[in-house]
Amino acid sequence: MKKIYKEALTYILIGLVILLLVFLFSPSKGLEVGKVAYNAFVQSFKIIIAVFFFIGLLQVWLSSETLSKIMGKEAGWFKYVIASIVPIFIGGSLFSIFPLLSTLLEKGASIGAVLAFITAWSGKAPLIPLEIHFLGLKFTILRTILIIPMALIIGITGELILEAWEKRAIKVGEVVEEILEDESKVEEEIEKEITEELTDKGERKNEK
Amino acid sequence: MDVGDIYLIIALVLLFISFLKDKGKTREVLKVVYKTTLTVFPVLFMIFILMGVVSTLVSKETIAHWLGSGSGIIGILIGELVGAFALVQPAAVFPFSGMLLNKGASYATIYAFVSTAILIGISTLPAEIKFFGKRFTIVRNLVTFFVVFIFSLFFQFLF
Repeated sequence: MKKIYKEALTYILIGLVILLLVFLFSPSKGLEVGKVAYNAFVQSFKIIIAVFFFIGLLQVWLSSETLSKIMGKEAGWFKYVIASIVPIFIGGSLFSIFPLLSTLLEKGASIGAVLAFITAWSGKAPLIPLEIHFLGLKFTILRTILIIPMALIIGITGELILEAWEKRAIKVGEVVEEILEDESKVEEEIEKEITEELTDKGERKNEK
Repeated sequence: MDVGDIYLIIALVLLFISFLKDKGKTREVLKVVYKTTLTVFPVLFMIFILMGVVSTLVSKETIAHWLGSGSGIIGILIGELVGAFALVQPAAVFPFSGMLLNKGASYATIYAFVSTAILIGISTLPAEIKFFGKRFTIVRNLVTFFVVFIFSLFFQFLF
């Protein structure tokens, strides 16, 4: 069986087992759990289906490849702004954007832009109907708007920290190399001494 | 006609436009829709049952105590940690958060939970390390955790 079907079945089974356990524990509570689940499902069913279509449409018509091309064209500080806004409209999981971003990084995109991109991706525009339904309009608008400054801040501070870490790592590397050089010098000296002693002994033997 | 119908009509109109513009791409759209349905729907099924369990078995007082506006910084930290360790898809995060909100959780803790649930994932760590290296992964996850904390405080102030 395909992995996707297996996972689907697993989740459904876990849900049913949980429901069954509550039923065994207390039938009236089990009924209540079922009612809450059923109501939540019925009330959001249409929205969920619509959201699935939004995800599909955005993923195909505004693929992350297209967006990364737009991103690649921009230069300077504007790149960070683009990286903090555009990914809000991308769907997909982190697993699907990691490979894309790592190739962008190899092509010379800055670490800060990549960090901002990942953060802004959490905006999840195709899911907005679902977010409004369960968390309210005010929450949704505030969260979505706050994504932009959050992406900028995480991008810039993350890049600064990573740069500082790299510099320190280079310094540590230099020190390690120095120590290693010193050690090799010491080794050479010891070797010299040993050979000298050996030759001394050899000379003494010859004398005897 | 409710909001759901309006969303569905918008989706169908967009799909129709997509079909007129490019049939091949529309077939791809339907494939993505099918795949998304198969991966997200079962998770939602489980989450809806879990919502029922939490809302009937955990009292309003308990949730309000740990995640309510009185819980302050501790509540935000709990929200962030649970979000970071939860293995849920974003689509499932919103219904569950909505239930917590109805049971007395504060907007700031829910904001913290939603943000880290989407951005920090124990399940995505191995992939992130593979693609970007250990240093990048450590810095991104820690900085995100810290920035989300600050933003949650700000969020509480805004609400």
